[in-house]
Amino acid sequence: MTTTGTDVTGPLPDDWTLPRLGRVNTEWFTSGKLLVQTCNQCGTRQHPPEEICHHCGSMDLGHTELGPNGTVHSFTVAHYAVNRALADAVPYAVVLVTLDDDPSIRIIGNVLDADPGEVHIGMPVTATWVERTDENGSVQLIQWVSR
Amino acid sequence: MEGRAVVVGVGESPYYKRGGASESEFQLACIAIRNAVADAGLTMADVDGFASYMDRNEPVRLSNALGTGDLHFTGQTFGGGGNGTAAAVALADMAVSAGYAECVVVFRSLAQGQFHRYGQAGKSRRAGGSAAYTSPYGMLSAAQICAMQTMRWMHDHGVTQDSLAEVALACFAHAQRNPRAVRYGSPLTREEYHASRWIAEPLHLYDCCPENDGAAAIVVTTAERARDCAQPGVPIVAAAQGLAHRGGGAAFTEDGFPTAHYDLVARQLWNRAGVKPADVPVAQFYENFTGPVLMAIAEMGFCEPGEINDFVADGGIQLGGRLPINTSGGNLAEAYIHGFGCVVEAVRQMRGTSTCQVDGADLSLVVAGPGFAPGSAVLFGRDS
Repeated sequence: MTTTGTDVTGPLPDDWTLPRLGRVNTEWFTSGKLLVQTCNQCGTRQHPPEEICHHCGSMDLGHTELGPNGTVHSFTVAHYAVNRALADAVPYAVVLVTLDDDPSIRIIGNVLDADPGEVHIGMPVTATWVERTDENGSVQLIQWVSR
Repeated sequence: MEGRAVVVGVGESPYYKRGGASESEFQLACIAIRNAVADAGLTMADVDGFASYMDRNEPVRLSNALGTGDLHFTGQTFGGGGNGTAAAVALADMAVSAGYAECVVVFRSLAQGQFHRYGQAGKSRRAGGSAAYTSPYGMLSAAQICAMQTMRWMHDHGVTQDSLAEVALACFAHAQRNPRAVRYGSPLTREEYHASRWIAEPLHLYDCCPENDGAAAIVVTTAERARDCAQPGVPIVAAAQGLAHRGGGAAFTEDGFPTAHYDLVARQLWNRAGVKPADVPVAQFYENFTGPVLMAIAEMGFCEPGEINDFVADGGIQLGGRLPINTSGGNLAEAYIHGFGCVVEAVRQMRGTSTCQVDGADLSLVVAGPGFAPGSAVLFGRDS
């Protein structure tokens, strides 16, 4: 595993589940940038990306790069390992971050440089990317560090 | 909008802890259905429809195995989970009220000791769809999803951990009067609640529904047909299902987060029924987890979110309180039959045969699984 912008790799095992790339999510999971899907016809943003604009119905969709700063909107600390592979990872915090550039966009992640007990609602964070590779190729997972 | 369909039969299999059933999940379904049909004073030959939600035991096999009459209707809600509990009753109501079928069994059979455990998650190399945005970060279970919603809702409205506890305490208290309940004879104290281990903060062990084996069923028919049945018909006064605009999207991106997905259900249900929350003396709120139950109580209109601490305090949701909920013990303490035990209990309240009967109750509400979309609810009335 290699990381961008941080030396910390997060709470989950190195071989934990990765996102499956598909028709609309490849930029999100491979660009290493905060590219939010944006309608080329009407300018509406939507996340997660879809195959059609929910506002005007266009299928001509592009992206807007937003700033990396965000705020923890909610979180949970998982204490029960729902899979045996996570037995050594618990307790770990999962956060829901709103982007300061557009608080209507919320993103799930982990705060790489904080203990579970330090994570709280209102915590300022900034995006970073963690490169992960398996037999299907590489992805850039958006993650968070405190700021 | 007084529906013409009524419930004439209810039945259950025995309820077990996970892995405790010697019967197969299919046999549990057959037992519950057989008991419900017998309770109604009907025979299998009278059954002409099936409705459910997320069930593996499909109607062709059931119909053949049970020897029903000709089937005229089968229906199941899309995807989701316990949020479809009341919607499945609505399907039967629609089929019977519109004349497509005359005697529809609504059922749910779930043996978590024989199939996937809802509290666990598989490990996949790659996760697609909405899980692509959550699984890589370790957000995998319903408990974790509801914990995320509950955490923000508690923050926004000053909801206390003790208010979550009140839901569990009400369920366990009511289960002590119900010999069918898995937790009958095993009361829960406030101290035990707070001392129990975290599953996913802010949810303790006792905030979470258990994994059980069992099945439950009801029989829905017309008011005319019910006159010849063994039990008084319990009218389906109104039902509703709702998904708000841009609601329920992947990874909490929905408008209105955090929501239990019941604002829209509430508006429809109360309009159709022509009653208001204060008219309802007893309710069954599907507990996947205690936090979303509190959210659903508020969204259904029983109180404002900021009033929930007071609403549930001092026995407010126990027998004799403002709104007794989950009078059988509910998912938490009777058994987790994916919420269908809540439907059976709501009908019993209208028959006057609950082990935790609310005296004089003339309306009985079921609110299906909160926190997952679309939500659904059904309101039963008294035979008049």
